[in-house]
Amino acid sequence: MQKIFRPFGLFTPKVTGQIIFHDEEYEKLGLQLKDNISSIFGRSLAIRELDSGSDNSTEIEMVNLTTPYYDVERFGITFVASPRHADILAVTGAVTHNMEIAVRKTYAAMPKPKFVIAVGDDACNGGIFAGGTYAVNGGVEKVIPVDLKIPGNPPTPYDILQALHGFMAVLAKGKK
Amino acid sequence: MKPIVDLNYYFEETGAAAKSKTGPEIYISVPEEVFNSSLAHIAGKDVVLIGLFCLQNFNGHTGFTLLYVLEKRSYSRIVIIERHLHEPYAASIAAFFPSASWFEREITDGFGVTFPDAFDKRHLFLHEVYPEGFHPLCKDFKNRTLKTRETIHPDSEYAFKKMTGEGVYQIPVGPVHAGIIEPGHFRFSVIGETIFNLEIRMFYKHRGLEKLAEGKTPEQAICIAETISGDESVANAVAFAMAVENIRRAEIPKRAWQIRTILLEMERIYSHLGDMGGMIVDVAFPKGASHFFILREEIFRLNQTLTGSRFMKGIVWSGGLTIDIQPHAITELAHYLEDFTPRLKSALDIVNATSSVIDRLETTGVIKKDLINLLNLTGPAARASGEPIDNRLDHAYGIYPILELQKRIAEKGDVLSRFNIKAQEINDSVSIIRALISQLADGPVNVKMDNGDGWALTLVEAARGQNLHWLYLRNGVIERYKVRTASFCNWQAIEHAVLGNIVPDFPLINKSLNLSYAGTDL
Repeated sequence: MQKIFRPFGLFTPKVTGQIIFHDEEYEKLGLQLKDNISSIFGRSLAIRELDSGSDNSTEIEMVNLTTPYYDVERFGITFVASPRHADILAVTGAVTHNMEIAVRKTYAAMPKPKFVIAVGDDACNGGIFAGGTYAVNGGVEKVIPVDLKIPGNPPTPYDILQALHGFMAVLAKGKK
Repeated sequence: MKPIVDLNYYFEETGAAAKSKTGPEIYISVPEEVFNSSLAHIAGKDVVLIGLFCLQNFNGHTGFTLLYVLEKRSYSRIVIIERHLHEPYAASIAAFFPSASWFEREITDGFGVTFPDAFDKRHLFLHEVYPEGFHPLCKDFKNRTLKTRETIHPDSEYAFKKMTGEGVYQIPVGPVHAGIIEPGHFRFSVIGETIFNLEIRMFYKHRGLEKLAEGKTPEQAICIAETISGDESVANAVAFAMAVENIRRAEIPKRAWQIRTILLEMERIYSHLGDMGGMIVDVAFPKGASHFFILREEIFRLNQTLTGSRFMKGIVWSGGLTIDIQPHAITELAHYLEDFTPRLKSALDIVNATSSVIDRLETTGVIKKDLINLLNLTGPAARASGEPIDNRLDHAYGIYPILELQKRIAEKGDVLSRFNIKAQEINDSVSIIRALISQLADGPVNVKMDNGDGWALTLVEAARGQNLHWLYLRNGVIERYKVRTASFCNWQAIEHAVLGNIVPDFPLINKSLNLSYAGTDL
């Protein structure tokens, strides 16, 4: 038998134990979503997240979509760094006056076709700010056109994925 | 030399010249002619300005009143100085209490009270889109929707500090960042790759929460406290509820406080886990980070089982809790926590065994101990720089006085120290929760409170540090609600911590403090 020279740690690959999550419903949803993304967006759906004045819990749930339990990248969803790369703008929070110009500019920077999703109650209709306050304009639709609303305080990662799945189904119908 | 008022006297238990109505604070007044000299006398030692805010028509005085909230290290009493103004201006104290600078700018925006001798008189939370002369917190402004400017003329743009010199250039970042993160603007002045100045501009997310709370009953407003910062919803809701309970002199059932404490510590665990995972992501080691994110997601799911909300919203109520926690949820939590500590340890072992990670964390983003009192830095950021402050012990509330808890201290103040402190605090929180589960009392989780008016200060230790709430109820509704989160003060630490570091380490330093933009901007 040939001896392999193997200095300590250098050629042994570092592997962690496989993590197995049993969440069949979620997996099924994700795979269906993946099929839809493949047919509509050519395998990759690019989302740009924009916080227009949320309480940060919605951002946390969006980040959670990329963590091991959900890992949406395997279904073809990527969160991109620039609106210029994005198919979808996911806006969280009611739009504050201080963010309004930035929201408009971000939307304008996106190439067409482009879609806007309002994530969370505040983004959908102003939430607790709906009664009128000096600092907040209101829901996202007051500033830019909205194609889909995902309610919740905040919506869970599962809610967000489910809503995206529904949205893809609507888009697929329009395409045919 | 002018005679001054010795403010140190009021921190002593025997020095209670004015007896506190509620809670740990006493209210005193200092004659205007010796006001600044008295404050200057105690500045720079162990007295910290933890809050400064304004309100109108307070305590029998018509017009503006400024409240200066002072804490003295190792004293549990909080001294609040009432400064009644006859004119809408006052002398600045920012020269000797630097933490006052943002507070004073906040007051000028909110009320139009100016500080003519202040070194920084720029707007704070009212950006260029707002009309000049607009002061939303004044009582004569009734809250309503506002039409603001849609474009900003270059002449009226916010003036950042100009940095000049050979090879100096500026990098503007934000408000919209590349990642999934809240908005804020960072203006770096850089030589080569080394940062030699950073100016942070916040308040893009200013939602007017303090004004929104006015005129509402405590029951209507608790959701506003929860929305101050989504990942501090329990801490802020508890602080708000405690203020109402202090004003109305309600005694909360033991079980309610035990459950509140479990939730507060769950919040600390998931918050710290996210910070630690984030730090490891920011040094490009996703394999190591994934273990922290797995644990964090499991905590979120347990939160859902316990309270019906992954962020535990809607359970804390003034007078206790809205609902009791189901026994099966408690059992599930106890079972889950059994092997939590070893799992966290194995995640830490991977990080500690990876020298390239430790190399990035060590000596990066040092917060000097001298800054802590001057800028009122709190939480893990202060403890990692060797300052033993923890609100759960210094101004213990609820059932914290009877819990076994120790302060975690590190000395170096770098990113690695903050990482390690957070790891230790997670384990401490797990021990607290397990101890509480084993001795959970029976009985109701809320009490009916009488109506009552008054004002109260509460301080809680959120995951990021000390949050200050001051609530004033009049005729059963909120007259003034002031919140100062730990993030508000800790942001200013980043401006110092990044100096001499390279630009690519900024995200790491930022993540090691993981401050809330929403909690700062309100």
